[in-house]
Amino acid sequence: MASDSGFVIETEALCKAYGDIRALDAISLQVPEGSIFGFLGPNGAGKTTTIRILMGFTRATSGRATVFGDDSWQKGVAVRSRVGYLVTADALYPDLSGDDQLAFAANISGREPVWRDRLLDALELDRKVLDRRLGTYSKGMRQKLALVVSAQHAPDLLMFDEPTDGLDPLIQRNFAGLLRDFRAEGTTVFMSSHDLGEVERLCDQVAVVRAGRVIASGSMESLKRQYSQRVEVTFADAVPGGIDDIVGASLVERNGTMVTLHVDHDFNSLLRYLASHDIARMEIRPPELQEVFMSYYESEEQAAEPTASTSR
Amino acid sequence: MMTAMVRRLLQRGLAGTLMLLLGVMIFQFVNPFIADSIGGEEGLSRLIELLPPGLQTLAQISPDFIALTGLAGYLSLGYDHPVYLVLVMSAIIGFTSRSIAGEVDRGTLALTLSRPIPRTNIYVARVAGLLVLIGVFASVGPLATRLGLAIAQPTGDVGTDQLLALTLLCGLLTWAVGGLSLMVSAASDTTGRVVGWATGFLVISFFVDYFAELWATLEPVKPLSIFWYFDTTGTVVDGSVPLTSALVLGGSGLVGVVAGWWRFTRRDFEI
Repeated sequence: MASDSGFVIETEALCKAYGDIRALDAISLQVPEGSIFGFLGPNGAGKTTTIRILMGFTRATSGRATVFGDDSWQKGVAVRSRVGYLVTADALYPDLSGDDQLAFAANISGREPVWRDRLLDALELDRKVLDRRLGTYSKGMRQKLALVVSAQHAPDLLMFDEPTDGLDPLIQRNFAGLLRDFRAEGTTVFMSSHDLGEVERLCDQVAVVRAGRVIASGSMESLKRQYSQRVEVTFADAVPGGIDDIVGASLVERNGTMVTLHVDHDFNSLLRYLASHDIARMEIRPPELQEVFMSYYESEEQAAEPTASTSR
Repeated sequence: MMTAMVRRLLQRGLAGTLMLLLGVMIFQFVNPFIADSIGGEEGLSRLIELLPPGLQTLAQISPDFIALTGLAGYLSLGYDHPVYLVLVMSAIIGFTSRSIAGEVDRGTLALTLSRPIPRTNIYVARVAGLLVLIGVFASVGPLATRLGLAIAQPTGDVGTDQLLALTLLCGLLTWAVGGLSLMVSAASDTTGRVVGWATGFLVISFFVDYFAELWATLEPVKPLSIFWYFDTTGTVVDGSVPLTSALVLGGSGLVGVVAGWWRFTRRDFEI
């Protein structure tokens, strides 16, 4: 059950400083219950630092971080009793067998590993392999085992940092299906990822961070709505004049009789213009998350002034 | 939960720890045989008298040493011998450095930290593991000595109370070193840093104690060395651990463990 506000994770003006370096600069997030929330940003943007604070590994310099309504530092034990956190594959004990690793993780979780078989099946991790010491596993196998370790005890919140790193596309697809099933059963997923395609396929909500600040957040649809759509038009003859002057549209590319335009929200001027010409083909494509993501970064870079803030 | 954590800690580096334990056993087991081969108490006395005075000074042993301390005195020398100390301290420092800083270094501590376990409990598991190791290493030497005495049967008496006192003293020294190195481990992110600090502390302590015996100028700083309180001969001869040794060694370990707990439960873990 989420806090009274209906959010599983809430941060407010969360800051973390290492001396003069500000790793987080007033991060505010709200993760709804039962959602898959993508936490996006390049290396050093502050994703991992935020997750460490939510897990109670590190203490915020200022601001507030709550999980299920409990302060992540002061009530860390209560928070972690409901969270499944993905440790990196390298953080598993190499001298243990897969079975022993799972048993140890279940033991210190204090909850029965009720999702273990489900995870092993979805990730196609052969039970016979679990007899072997972890040191003999490939990177992908260790990542699969790390995922089982993180979620086998059926937590209410899954907190993943790059969950599909090292997994092949087939297993990634299986894993995505499993996360959707977990969501349908009421589990909330908070994940950071560099794989924008994966985030786009999976996540309901996203937040984009840069240099320790959230520069955009909301549902996937609302983020995409804010971004211009891409329209490709192929004229039957040469590209007519006036294509540069259409209100609400900007010409991106011209290639023979084909032009590519970005249209903000108002299609009326473009449609009026096209109606008076002979069109061979037209395609309207909604923006991909990658385009939205890059547009935020580019606009931030242009707007950014020299600052002492440094990401971590 | 606690048992699982302690077991996991002791399993890590088990092969190396067992080799060190075997080394301690063999080292203390053969000493009674050496004493017997030299001719028991009488033979040992004659051997020491034959040593040149300079060598007696360097070995910090007087001609009447055996007359005053007997076979137990000779055997006690095996417990402040550098080989014995290196074997035991390697095991203790290896454990303390692995159990916190080593786990931060490798990232494995993240698994434990991410579970609903209070940090105090995570730390207490480390202390419990350390106590198990101390118990094993402190007792295995005197047990091996007792076994060697039973088989070799050199002339001279060594009482069980004398060996028990030695066990306690060895336990107190390893507790002091273990507690202090656990404190460093709780504040560190790499194994190397813990090993460096702990080894440096021990080496300096050892040489301050050794050279202070030879050089009167260093006499005032002698109590600053942890080995000043590790008087194996006096303990064996008296059959009890001096109170000052018990307080200083026990107190040092306790201060280290408490300071380590304070740091461990408050620090940031960047893993």
